[in-house]
Amino acid sequence: MNGQQPEPHTLAGAYAMDALDGQDRARFERHLERCEECTREVAGLREATARLAGAAAVRPPDALKDLLLAETAQTRQLPPVPRGAPSATARRTPAAPGQWLARLRGQLRAPRLAVVLAAVAVVAAVAVWASGAVVRPSPPVQSTVGHDVATVLTAPDLAVLTGRVRTGGTATVMMSRRDRMLVFAAAGLRALPGSKCYELWLMGPRADRPAGLLPMPKHGMIGPVAAVGLQAGDRLGLTVEPAQGSRRPTSPMILVLAL
Amino acid sequence: MPVPGADLAALLTRVARGDHAAFAEVYDRVAAPVFGTVRSVVRDPSLSEEVTQEVFVEVWRAASRFDACKGSPMAWVATIAHRRAVDRVRSEQRAADRDRRSAAPLIAYDDVAETVEDNLDRERVRRCLGALTELQREAVTLAYYGGYTYREVAGLLGVPAGTVNTRMRDGLIRLRDCLGAAR
Repeated sequence: MNGQQPEPHTLAGAYAMDALDGQDRARFERHLERCEECTREVAGLREATARLAGAAAVRPPDALKDLLLAETAQTRQLPPVPRGAPSATARRTPAAPGQWLARLRGQLRAPRLAVVLAAVAVVAAVAVWASGAVVRPSPPVQSTVGHDVATVLTAPDLAVLTGRVRTGGTATVMMSRRDRMLVFAAAGLRALPGSKCYELWLMGPRADRPAGLLPMPKHGMIGPVAAVGLQAGDRLGLTVEPAQGSRRPTSPMILVLAL
Repeated sequence: MPVPGADLAALLTRVARGDHAAFAEVYDRVAAPVFGTVRSVVRDPSLSEEVTQEVFVEVWRAASRFDACKGSPMAWVATIAHRRAVDRVRSEQRAADRDRRSAAPLIAYDDVAETVEDNLDRERVRRCLGALTELQREAVTLAYYGGYTYREVAGLLGVPAGTVNTRMRDGLIRLRDCLGAAR
């Protein structure tokens, strides 16, 4: 039996079911921080495990509810995570923007560095502009700086686009047609109510495809997040959708970029 | 109710603002899946109640951390519940009780379902579990309902740990697609 150092990606199922213990779990969680695809996969698998939980439903003793309500009445809640507005919680986030950029640079091959830094500078400039240079921009809290991002930023055909979001904010897209990938980041976005999310779309000549629900903005900032499966003639769109996401856009585009 | 999760997400938003009535409603909605999952893993009835209580205190405390853009509210709650149950079992019962727990996981299928909705859910999950290969099904149920690590599952089934990993992943992916649980 040779299961000592399994390939991290194959552990997504075991992780989603808490079948990783101690070191295995810690190692996979470190991997998750760098692997956006794995993060998305685990989230999807957890929707399945939630159904397993539903199938196991057993009503607890009635007395439990009263006990619990008495306890929570005396339990202090964690402060809210900021949605667009700066707060103490966001500032506690360990990695400073400089560290984030340093980490990015570290992942990239030297010859491409000039182009990459130019692209990164665009994102940083947008961030500073959006924050009025007073509040330091928050780094991506759920870091999605992973292989996909590095792939795009080091691609020989790297292209950078920017656009204004109609409801406020600026979006930056870095893309590689060769690798059929793009990286999206935005700043100055309006905060949304808890029941809504920003959703990205790839809109092609034949069909519009959802390209991912975006995590809620922190300090108005989102990303960088990667989207794959770019096709010729695609445009990138952004809408506000119900929190579960939609298969087709259900509200007007607030950003359209020809890719 | 077109999207049951949407309601639950809205309730959690209110809970995050300290709304006790909303919390009581969240409890009513998800107590059965949470308790059932915890009991399936923990086994011991009074310990199961204790862990269930801890799970809901955590839901209360951390409600502001729920991000509806990253996953459904039920997945968020179920993840807290299962993780708590598994961690409790592993830390407290590691040596002694492990031997007493039988290899076959207790799936609460025999309990009377609370609601029609529960029944439908159970039926669908059972059908989708039935569509997996035997090894996938055993790996998934031992891990989820039994709370075993993949290494333990490998030992129980007598197959390599690497094989168990891939079966767990493939099994969950098939389950997700079969249940239409993808977002």
